[in-house]
Amino acid sequence: MLDKLWLIPLIPFAGFLLNGLFGKKIGNGLVTAVALAASGLTAMVSTLAVFQYLGAYPDHGRHLDRVYNWFTAGGIGTDVAFQLDPLSIVMLMVVTWVGFLIHLYSVGYMGEEDGYGRYFAYLNLFLSAMLILVLGSSYLFIFVGWEGVGLCSYLLIGFYYDRDYAAAAGKKAFIVNRIGDFGFLIAMFLMFNYAGTVDFAGVQSMAARGQLTPTVITAICLLLFLGACGKSAQIPLYIWLPDAMAGPTPVSALIHAATMVTAGVYMLVRSNLLYRMSPSAMMVVALIGGLTALFSATIAVAQNDIKKVLAYSTVSQLGFMFIGVGVGAFTSGIFHLVTHAFFKACLFLGAGSVIHAMGGEQDMRKMGGLRKKIPTTFWTFTVATIAISGFPPFAGFFSKDEILASAFATPYFPAVGKLVWLMGTVAAFFTAFYMFRLWYLTFTGDFRGTHEQEHHLHESPWTMTFPLQVLAVLSIIGGFIGLPQMLHTPVTNLLEHWMQPVIPEIEGIGKLIEIPVGTEATVALVSTLLAALAWYLARQRYRGRGLAADLATEQSHPGLVHTLENKYYVDEGYDATVVTPLRQLSIFSWKVIDGIIDGTLGLVGYTVAAIGDLLRFFQTGNVRNYALMLFGAVVILMWVFA
Amino acid sequence: MDALTASIPLLVFVVVGTIAVASSILVVAMRNPVNSALFLLLTFLCVAVLFVMEGAEFVGAVQVLVYAGGIMVLFLFVVMLINVRALPDDRILSPYWTGGAVVGAAVFVLLVALVRPGVYHEQNDNPLALRSTTVNARHRVVQPDGTTVRKRYTRQQVVGNSEAIGMALYRDYLVPFEVASLFLLVAMVGAILIGKRELGIDDEDVDPQYIVDRVAEEKEMKEAMSA
Amino acid sequence: MTWADTLLLLPELIAATGASILLIVPVLGGRARGHMAKWAMLALMAVTALAVIGSTYAVAGVQQTPTFRAMFAVDAFSVFFKLLFVVVIALVTLLSEDFLSEERYSTWEYYSLLAFALCGMMFMASGVSLITIYIGLELLALSSYILAGYYKNHEESTEAAMKYFILGTVSSAILLYGISLIYGVCGSMRLSTIAAALSTMLSNDALMFGIMLLAAGLCFKIAAVPFHVWTPDVYVGAPTPISAFLSTGSKAAAFAVFARVFYVAFPAFHLDWSNVLAAIAALSMIVGNLAAITQTNVKRMLAYSSISHAGYSLLGIIAMNEMGLRGILIYTMVYVFANLGIWATILMLRRHAYAGESVEDFRGLHKRAPFAAFSMVVFLLSLGGIPPTAGFIGKYFLFAAAVQAGFGWLAIVAVVMSAVSMFYYLRLVVAMYLEEGSGAETIYSPSLRFVTALSLTVTLVVGFIPELPIRQVIESSSHLVGRVVQR
Repeated sequence: MLDKLWLIPLIPFAGFLLNGLFGKKIGNGLVTAVALAASGLTAMVSTLAVFQYLGAYPDHGRHLDRVYNWFTAGGIGTDVAFQLDPLSIVMLMVVTWVGFLIHLYSVGYMGEEDGYGRYFAYLNLFLSAMLILVLGSSYLFIFVGWEGVGLCSYLLIGFYYDRDYAAAAGKKAFIVNRIGDFGFLIAMFLMFNYAGTVDFAGVQSMAARGQLTPTVITAICLLLFLGACGKSAQIPLYIWLPDAMAGPTPVSALIHAATMVTAGVYMLVRSNLLYRMSPSAMMVVALIGGLTALFSATIAVAQNDIKKVLAYSTVSQLGFMFIGVGVGAFTSGIFHLVTHAFFKACLFLGAGSVIHAMGGEQDMRKMGGLRKKIPTTFWTFTVATIAISGFPPFAGFFSKDEILASAFATPYFPAVGKLVWLMGTVAAFFTAFYMFRLWYLTFTGDFRGTHEQEHHLHESPWTMTFPLQVLAVLSIIGGFIGLPQMLHTPVTNLLEHWMQPVIPEIEGIGKLIEIPVGTEATVALVSTLLAALAWYLARQRYRGRGLAADLATEQSHPGLVHTLENKYYVDEGYDATVVTPLRQLSIFSWKVIDGIIDGTLGLVGYTVAAIGDLLRFFQTGNVRNYALMLFGAVVILMWVFA
Repeated sequence: MDALTASIPLLVFVVVGTIAVASSILVVAMRNPVNSALFLLLTFLCVAVLFVMEGAEFVGAVQVLVYAGGIMVLFLFVVMLINVRALPDDRILSPYWTGGAVVGAAVFVLLVALVRPGVYHEQNDNPLALRSTTVNARHRVVQPDGTTVRKRYTRQQVVGNSEAIGMALYRDYLVPFEVASLFLLVAMVGAILIGKRELGIDDEDVDPQYIVDRVAEEKEMKEAMSA
Repeated sequence: MTWADTLLLLPELIAATGASILLIVPVLGGRARGHMAKWAMLALMAVTALAVIGSTYAVAGVQQTPTFRAMFAVDAFSVFFKLLFVVVIALVTLLSEDFLSEERYSTWEYYSLLAFALCGMMFMASGVSLITIYIGLELLALSSYILAGYYKNHEESTEAAMKYFILGTVSSAILLYGISLIYGVCGSMRLSTIAAALSTMLSNDALMFGIMLLAAGLCFKIAAVPFHVWTPDVYVGAPTPISAFLSTGSKAAAFAVFARVFYVAFPAFHLDWSNVLAAIAALSMIVGNLAAITQTNVKRMLAYSSISHAGYSLLGIIAMNEMGLRGILIYTMVYVFANLGIWATILMLRRHAYAGESVEDFRGLHKRAPFAAFSMVVFLLSLGGIPPTAGFIGKYFLFAAAVQAGFGWLAIVAVVMSAVSMFYYLRLVVAMYLEEGSGAETIYSPSLRFVTALSLTVTLVVGFIPELPIRQVIESSSHLVGRVVQR
């Protein structure tokens, strides 16, 4: 299998071709069979390949499977080659198995939709591109997958073409991503110019041998990060992700939570050697990550659309991953990527199940009390909520705290590290708050929807609940692959040992982080307490009461009388001093800052359109005018030149 | 006296050149096409004079023969045939003429700035050298064994004006010259395609009988008119 | 000059003779058999292609010393472009079939003019003297003017032809003036002699003006800003197959000339002209792409898109290095095929009762013509430079060349602008895949199908296994770059 790694992306591609070309003819049953077979088979083939790799490479070195020479003539090309190493394997397993689960889920979720075949064709194509992205052995080759996933994301976001905003959202996603790709491309040109190769190993060995100047390395790192910002939705290029929720929910789970959006993190970890040689670039990454984590976590608090909450939450969690990468804790970035894939996919699929039960309703204000109606969804969702909020011993706790502790202890820029830690910790507090808000609003209290909806409520079919259950279990135990040192369990930091060959210790190049046990314990304690506080606040505010509290803060100013009249004196006090300002901050960052960034991009759009109109003004259609312009241009040209 | 003789060419150049420029402006300024055509003729003649002054007698002669003699006659023939009396009394200048004037002036200034000695490729000062060209020739060579062979060689030779042009066109510039003939062929084809009446395209009815009818109809009309 | 030299002219001679024969056929009673004209034309293209390939064996090597008093050369560079031209003309022939049969215009003359245009293009590719290049260019231009006005009874077509003719004449006057200034300074029109003369010369105004005027004339042909004004009007007005020809073949020929002249003759003054051309390239990319965004007519949008592509290709000339020249060759090829494919799809929708030109006409195309819609997506992605389509490889070379030559800012403009370009390319994708159909009829004739399939094959093959084409391109261009290094 190891010499046939190309099969792994090829199988879903074949699925794409079959479903894309004959999807309409062969009927939904066969479409399902093809799609599931393609994604399941590729997952199994991948697993087989991983086992063979373990046998063949006891030292966990880099396995390279060169398929053919894409182009090297002219000196700026690369091979079409797939590689297997610990990092690829982690990504491969996440992408194929989570991918398979979501394919399975989609069977139930999309069953009644038009364009069933088209949907699975795109989904398979996405899987194929994503696998090229994680298995490719050079920057240039993974760029193919990089663009491919962007294209599929675009097609899937715009899947519901009867909704006006869907196509616009898809286009926005694609264009914003292209802006990020610009950084990726230029970074590749720099690599060619200065290192003469774009192969991962080649570039890193050139850098390790000191063949690249620090300026070049910093430039490459920053440009790569720009690319990552586009794909992984970081400030200022995050604006496409919330809009991307216009796509079907399983797509949001697969592409916009578990896999594609983490591609940026993957690429940065891939380039960890370069980053370790450029602390300033790392600092930028850490700061942007911290800002994004904090900023979008606050926005999530003010959202009422269940998917929008999760979308901002994803942006925020991606920010955590970038904090990890930025402070030099590359493994913990990947660790969080994995756990996040589990619990966020679970959350999105759970949300999908809720929406399915509600007959397409996404507004949390119309939900409530769903706990009894959809029990499986309820408990899986609860597990994932606890996991993302960072309660031990669930998955999110270990990965998030490893990141925060690393930020606190980073040797690269201690002061900034503390600041980033602070941002991350506050963001973690918000995370717990908005997640429990979501949880209480959705599952507790009375049902606030229409009677018709209430009648319609039902648990989803097994194809949907089974993936939920699997992911929920993974959200519980997923964290055990990276148990911290302080617990003194028999196996600690499994993932870190596993990743060792990818993040080698090299003399003179940015050392790896050693977290003192004391720091780790303190950080863990602080964030757990904060999460508990957030849960408590959310409970007081939203349990069984719907959005009454939110409405109250929005409509009237919470005066002293109001506080006194209320029998939850202390809670209202908390409300007034902590929660309400936080909520206002949230609304501020959503309406104002988000608005400004979005508006700026909108303004760019308007400017472009205005320039277009201006240019059309010159297009008078009058031939004398044209001749005059021609001569005028010649005169200007000669004047400038002479 | 010598100074006067020396300045005669300059004087002729100035006078003829001015006439050429002035009449070419009049070509576009005239409302009656016949007048325009006649001024064009004047321009051609002046240019022919300029050619002769530069020692290009052949080109000058061809200019008179082909342009003034042939093409101009054709022009006048066409103008009279289609019987255009004068252009309608519209404005000749477009509203953009100020812009045109500015750009034109700028082009003029820029081009005048280029007229400087010493910039251009140095030609041989000897006017005869301009007319010398390499010629293939053969000569007999007596071999040591007494036989004679003809050997090819090339030599520089001063030739006449027309011969030099012939050498240039049919030897040095043979390929572009031949392509120019293709160019003229295409121009002719284009003129015919644009000019000819395409029967039946505007009309719904395109069967051959219709065309025959129509041709007959036109013939009748002509006869009626001439009668 | 020997008979062997004349053999080198064989492809051009065949094209010219063939064109003349096509012209005579209707006189000999072939008028009625208009449908035969297509096959005759395709046969002519096949023979010409064979002659072109044959001429490479005649030169027995990559580089051939120029013949006919250094007016004309057959080398790998010219062969590459000639083959490209022949294929383009053959595909345009196929595109024209329906148009001609529907509009009932004289077919034989139409194809004859196309063959003459081909002849002019081949002289442009082979010309190593400015005069040969100029006259070839004029032959191409004159044929194009007539073809652009072939819709004689449609006002827009006549208007387009008139505009194209007047502006084209103005531009060729500018070009000619540039040539004469260069001749004045260097005393020769042969590219190699000019290069030799320039290498010992200091910069002077007359020479610079000459180079600039020459560049301006060529920029008109490739439709680079600010010499682009004619493009949208002519593309919209001209018969659609001719618009396809103008945006592909005609441009490719101009790029062949641009590359040869600047790489062979003017490397000595690279520093002087590269910045001006860089400004032109940047303007073309910006103006072309921004203006395209607001267009609703697909032909007009393609016109602006072609303006922006002229800007990208110019990067290769500005860079003046091996990679740049390769980039031009690859990109020209890639662009030509993607564009022809798109024009084929437009023609498919282009019918009497039905305009087929606005973006709305593409709505729901994936249901009516899945293959056409799919190929259209591939072509659009290729134009936008998304891997693994051919367009990515082309852009990759061009941008890399610009970075290598120190024009990083230009590469940045180019990359950003190609991101912007996706905006309007995606509009068509949205219309085809994400909007409900308009119920408009589509007629997908075998000829159009063939053009689409061939273009699709090239676009995908160059994208997936570019090694072979790139090797070919390197072989075809290395001798020109060699001269740059020698200097």
